[in-house]
Amino acid sequence: MIRLNDLQIGYRIGSRVIRAVDGVTLTIPDGCIVGVAGESGCGKSTLMKAIYGDIRSPMALLGGSIDYGMKGADGRPVTTDTIRREWFRSISYIPQSSMNSLNPVIRVRDQFIDFPGTDGNKKRVLERARAYIGKLGLPPEAMDSYPHQLSGGMRQRVMIALATFFEPALIIADEPTTALDVVVQKEILMLLMDVQERMGNTILVVSHDMGVHYQVTDKMLIMYAGRVVEYGDTESVFADPQHAYTKMLIDSLPTIGDDSMRGVLASAAGAGGDRAFRVEPELIEIKPGHYVARPSLAGVAA
Amino acid sequence: MGVLQYVAKRLGQYFAVLFVGLTITFLIPRLLPTNPIDGYIGQIQARANGALSGNDIALLRANLEELYGLKGDVLTQYLSFLKRVIFQFDFGPSFTYYPQPVSQIVFTALPYTIGLLMVSTLIAWFLGNVVGLVAGYFHTKRAASILEVVGIMLYPIPYYILAVTVILVLSYLIPIFPLAPSFPVGQMTLQKAGMIIYNSLLPAITLILAGFGWNILSMKALAVATTEEPYVTYSRLKGATNWTRMTGYVFRNAMLPQVTALALSLGTVFSGALLTEMLFSYPGIGLILRTAASSADYNVLYGAITISIIAVATAGLVIDLIYPLLDPRIRHR
Repeated sequence: MIRLNDLQIGYRIGSRVIRAVDGVTLTIPDGCIVGVAGESGCGKSTLMKAIYGDIRSPMALLGGSIDYGMKGADGRPVTTDTIRREWFRSISYIPQSSMNSLNPVIRVRDQFIDFPGTDGNKKRVLERARAYIGKLGLPPEAMDSYPHQLSGGMRQRVMIALATFFEPALIIADEPTTALDVVVQKEILMLLMDVQERMGNTILVVSHDMGVHYQVTDKMLIMYAGRVVEYGDTESVFADPQHAYTKMLIDSLPTIGDDSMRGVLASAAGAGGDRAFRVEPELIEIKPGHYVARPSLAGVAA
Repeated sequence: MGVLQYVAKRLGQYFAVLFVGLTITFLIPRLLPTNPIDGYIGQIQARANGALSGNDIALLRANLEELYGLKGDVLTQYLSFLKRVIFQFDFGPSFTYYPQPVSQIVFTALPYTIGLLMVSTLIAWFLGNVVGLVAGYFHTKRAASILEVVGIMLYPIPYYILAVTVILVLSYLIPIFPLAPSFPVGQMTLQKAGMIIYNSLLPAITLILAGFGWNILSMKALAVATTEEPYVTYSRLKGATNWTRMTGYVFRNAMLPQVTALALSLGTVFSGALLTEMLFSYPGIGLILRTAASSADYNVLYGAITISIIAVATAGLVIDLIYPLLDPRIRHR
């Protein structure tokens, strides 16, 4: 169980402080997949970095605390200051840019053993890793390859293998499928769910794709302007969103067969309906070379 | 492309470069309007106060043409030139030090030039890259930017000014090294080798200082850019140590363009030799080239230039053969 207590994270730029995460208090139960959504700049990446413990200047912990609910090797509870020692032991990370997150001039196998989190006996690690990547749908030869010899999907599988190999309690996945095509995206997400089911760890998934969240997550965390606007079971959040912003995000997903929102700007409709408008078919030249479809406010049933 | 094919292709290029180089060295002096044999006969005639008869001169001309490979038309000369150079490495005798063969003069000087310039270029590359790597990897730390200042200060100083300054400081103001070094000849002994190394230190220091600055600046820029690569960030988030990240991640990737730069600077070693060896009276190819050029010693010029062409092309070949070992993306194309 991870508890965030009034967490405040900011960026210090000169004498200015930009509050990217502005007082977040919530509890993440063990063994569930939590989806994090929100527009760019809402603070979700900052929150993930803070939970991962990667707080480096100009980023700073301004207030509050994180209670990881786990004990380190020395038997004391892990805090923001000591979480680094747990990297790729009990907390791991799946980066966004799988395409270039592997060192291009070093074999994949060597990237399984070049950090302290790994077991001291490198030979044993490699033997186990070779068997392990087979379970994730990678051929054992992938271990002996250089990254450029693997496809994007295979590389992301390697990233997942690296992140899950040490069976961490918490995995942070920062947009793990953005760079991949739709078919591979689905495979990777299924793989992630599979691994989670087997190991029972907690996964935080950041994504802009509400469809991904609906399919994969148990809980949803919606952020806006550095604050959490809605947090709850995914089923419940999607079926009955309470916050206007959550409604907008969900309405931005096109629904097959439902034409009621067609031609209506989703965000405007979600904001209360009074600003909803239809889009006229003709373009008007408003300035030389600048065309716009004039919105008509009349006759719209919000 | 297989490894063998790659090597074969590169070797083919190597021999093509050598062939073109030899052909150009053969052609250029022949484009001159003067004939060295006419000049030489004129000299002898003057020395003999015009006592040589027409018959003697014809005989002399025939002998000289034979000796210096100037017999027959250009094509015949070219073929016999190639035959002699490729199979016997024979450039004929030197004009100035007749009858000493050119190959002997060149081979005596070659180890000096290669020893001094190659070694100091490699040391400058290595030191510059280490300093540049540390300066680039820790570019957010203030102490590291001091390292870069070393590069910024050294890089713009013209080589000859640096050389004269080093001579002035290290052999005149603080006389650690001799102003006029002597290089022993004959059978090599341990003592003589020590003396040669001692006398080579001064030009070596200058060359290292001159090459050092550029390597620092270049490596620093590369290292800063590489530090921002996603794979370096990811290795940091894996908890990899600074040492692993700096060597295995940043350096292994940032060194690749630097290796190319090393190949290019090894290629210019012989043009650097000219100035260095003149300034430090160092008995290498550069000094021979200069003496030969001022006394119109064509055969020695041929020999020295040919050996430079071979050395530069070989350095390029070696680097190209090593490169795939450093960058797997080239190996597996």
